Amino acid sequence: MPPSIHPVDLVATLRQRNLTPAIIFLTSRRACDEAMQSFERSQVTLPKTQQEQIARVLTQVTEQFPSIAEHPLIETVQRIGVAAHHAGHLPSWKIAVEELMRTGSLDAVFATTTLAAGVDFPARTVVVTQSSIRKARDFTDLTASEIQQLAGRAGRRGKDLVGFAVITPSPYIDLTVLTKGLTGQPEAIHSQFVISYPMVLNLLKAHPREQIQSILAKSFAQFQLNQRTAVLETKLDSLRAEMEPFGPRVCSDWITQWQVFEQARKRKKPRSPFTRQESPDVAARLHFLTPGRVVGVTRGRGIILRQYRSKGQHAPMVTLLREGGSLNECPASIVTQVFDRTFDCEETSTYPWCTPQALEQLTHHLTDLPPRLPILPILAHQHEETPIDSSIIQTLGDFPCPTCPSRQACQRDFPRASRVRQEIQRHIKSIQALQTSLWHRFQERIDVLEKFGYLHANAQLTADGEWARLIRIDHSLLITELIRAEAFGAIDPPLLAAVMASIAHDDDRPGSFPRGSAGLVTLLFQVRKLAESLTPHEAPPMLRADVAALTERWVSDQTLTWIGLARLTTMAEGDMFRLFARTIEFLSQLKTLKATHPSLAESADHAITAMRRGVLEELP
Amino acid sequence: MNTHELERLLMQQPVSLLHRLARGRISRHFRSGKRKLVDLLLQASAENRPGLESDLQTLIDERAQRPQPVPVEKTRPPEARSRQAVPATSRPHRTDDHGHHHEPPVSLHEWLSGIGVPPPQPFVPDAWQVEALAKLAETDVVVSVPTGSGKTYVAIEATARAMRENRTVIYTSPLKALSNTKFTEFSRVFGPGQVGILTGDRREHSQAPLLIMTTEILRNLLYDAAGGEIDVRLDTLGLVIMDESQYLADPERGVVWEETLIFCPSQARLLLLSASIGNPQDIADWLTAIRPSPCSLIRHTKRSVPLRAGYLHPNEKLTPLFRTAGIPYGQPHLLHPEAKRLFIEYEEETGPSRSR
Repeated sequence: MPPSIHPVDLVATLRQRNLTPAIIFLTSRRACDEAMQSFERSQVTLPKTQQEQIARVLTQVTEQFPSIAEHPLIETVQRIGVAAHHAGHLPSWKIAVEELMRTGSLDAVFATTTLAAGVDFPARTVVVTQSSIRKARDFTDLTASEIQQLAGRAGRRGKDLVGFAVITPSPYIDLTVLTKGLTGQPEAIHSQFVISYPMVLNLLKAHPREQIQSILAKSFAQFQLNQRTAVLETKLDSLRAEMEPFGPRVCSDWITQWQVFEQARKRKKPRSPFTRQESPDVAARLHFLTPGRVVGVTRGRGIILRQYRSKGQHAPMVTLLREGGSLNECPASIVTQVFDRTFDCEETSTYPWCTPQALEQLTHHLTDLPPRLPILPILAHQHEETPIDSSIIQTLGDFPCPTCPSRQACQRDFPRASRVRQEIQRHIKSIQALQTSLWHRFQERIDVLEKFGYLHANAQLTADGEWARLIRIDHSLLITELIRAEAFGAIDPPLLAAVMASIAHDDDRPGSFPRGSAGLVTLLFQVRKLAESLTPHEAPPMLRADVAALTERWVSDQTLTWIGLARLTTMAEGDMFRLFARTIEFLSQLKTLKATHPSLAESADHAITAMRRGVLEELP
Repeated sequence: MNTHELERLLMQQPVSLLHRLARGRISRHFRSGKRKLVDLLLQASAENRPGLESDLQTLIDERAQRPQPVPVEKTRPPEARSRQAVPATSRPHRTDDHGHHHEPPVSLHEWLSGIGVPPPQPFVPDAWQVEALAKLAETDVVVSVPTGSGKTYVAIEATARAMRENRTVIYTSPLKALSNTKFTEFSRVFGPGQVGILTGDRREHSQAPLLIMTTEILRNLLYDAAGGEIDVRLDTLGLVIMDESQYLADPERGVVWEETLIFCPSQARLLLLSASIGNPQDIADWLTAIRPSPCSLIRHTKRSVPLRAGYLHPNEKLTPLFRTAGIPYGQPHLLHPEAKRLFIEYEEETGPSRSR
């Protein structure tokens, strides 16, 4: 069995069952394009009337967006009545496909699941082939909301009596995720409030610092934090109720009192440190029981081969070479005498713990030893008990607890009471944190802006702050810092556009691109250095040199056509369009700085005019 | 209570309770089994028997007060289910695994029946659409309805009413592409001169009574208005429509929706259009809390065109996905036996390496 149904067969089945028009959601752009290619090879052709209808709609759309006329897919779409719709396409092409779907001219559209929200056209049937979606480089299961968003495209109001959501398996499918998503409740949404530098500047421009906290309190973020606070507060109430029986006793704060008393009591009897059970003279001898040492045991003599402690035995152990050549593992306490005689012994790490030659020699030495040997005198230390700290004894006497009438109750209740009290304190702290977290985050931003000189110490905007607040896009700190560092002094429009493109672009799809000019490379190097120095305060952009070079080419070479540009790179047309549209958006923010940075604003204006040609002119 | 009774009482308690009791009394109590734990507790209680007894009593009471957990229906591991599912198809009238569905599963023929185009009929607004428009006359409105229920109708009708009162309307959408689509659509409805569009650096008909823009643009307008540079006729602003309001939860852009709603002029009505979300009441409550007028919630979950779910096998065999023709809401396990069998077959054939 194939891992998934062939696209041509899929559409054929849907047609046969009268389930078209259909939107087929596939995992990737590539899957969509490959599905289209498989149709190009197939022999399917539409009846003449439908082909004519498609042609008619396309002509209409082409009037508005001339660039569609050259689209390479037009012929295929017209012949087979199937199209692809994904972010790699130009917006005008996507509008054409949407229009075709709306007029019911197409039988199927292959779309990517990622762009389900952007797919604003309905169909009779929706086909789902996957249960997970790529989000930030990871595949995560589709949520119930997302699945219902996909399925929601099925069934056109006024055109269908029923809509169908058809699941067809592919290697990326978990049926349970989909059935649960179809039958379940959509998820609750949560606030994603982040405090950005432009937000701080703009709020402080319009409101004094004292009012900020009440503005932040109006956010949905704070509303949801308050909901969590409410939950914590009910818990806190029940904890306080639980604390009730542990109110004041003989002393008002008996829990602390008992805690201190317990600590003092425990300190009086310190837990004895773990010591090996060995007598003082054995301990003293241990230092001398080195390999090669001749020792006396109850019967006879021997030579120590190694000394060790094993986990199983509490006592220190030695390996002993006995007279007659036998090797014994025995506790160190077996040694009764330590003689003042050692032999060289070449140690090894495995049995018999010395080289065979050494063992042989030692055996000889042992038999050759004179009957009397000088004994090493060994002094055993007597362990002294550490005396109890007199200050504690003193303090213990000060405690009323031992004789207090409530002592029993205190002792009984202490573990629970102290636990409840800790819980109460923890809850109070969390509630405080929830109530002030937004303001703290805001304050952190204020501090950074003050450090960089956009704000005065009284949180009033400085001259720099006044214009910086007009830059209301991602990476605003990097852009304003670049302006202040005069990196854009008398910059050419192509270079400016290129740098803005590299700051604006946040996609990491690889591809091949034209080369940038030497000036661009140097400038990007400076930008990257500055971005790195700002890392603690703002996440650096990707600063891709290749997309910058592509933008530079488009702006500097006015004779370059869109098709010509597309040939210079493997980047998808839709991605190119988005890159340029976003770059224009960034440039138009620079354009607002006319009053303070006239030459920069002018350069940005030129760049925008230069960029806006060909397909970029078609959409408002 | 003598030692014997205490021992018996302790033995009756669940181990978790004994562990809680042992906390602070016995060191490393988690290592001992129940029998050992009881013995240790009895030993430890020698000094302070009343303390132990009273603590035991409190813990027992606490347990009794807690609502008994509902016995969870044990789900069988998938292997066990798959073994059961195969005979299930040979006897189609057998009660299904879970035993609360006795009707035979829907047949493919039944499932496919009723496809077609409804006869043309005069447009009659749904009850929720009427209600939303009526509420909008007095309050802000949050609409949370399934995709494709006709939110655009509400937007158009509300716009027309505001325009009749010479009020400006701002319509925001999350994506530029959607703004363009709506611009074309609304221009068709209201006439080209009546609709304007504002993007980052381009304005078309910026004096039109209906302005379409992305939410970021509106936020920036509100910033400028707050900063003293009035840029848009905010005083004549009568209605702000925010489409796809579920973007409020977008990790990168959600904050823009919040800012816009916080700073939205108080004399303007708000109409939030959102796909089905889990907590629309929260949004309505939030807006009621921060805005001078209350906020009503219009919510319904019924789709205007009924939905059916199917399963298409790679060998082109089509079956219903669920036992019922429609979607069995809240009962994901009511799979059609045929779909179940085919999917298990698929999983087995495409390799055990990726079984879940």
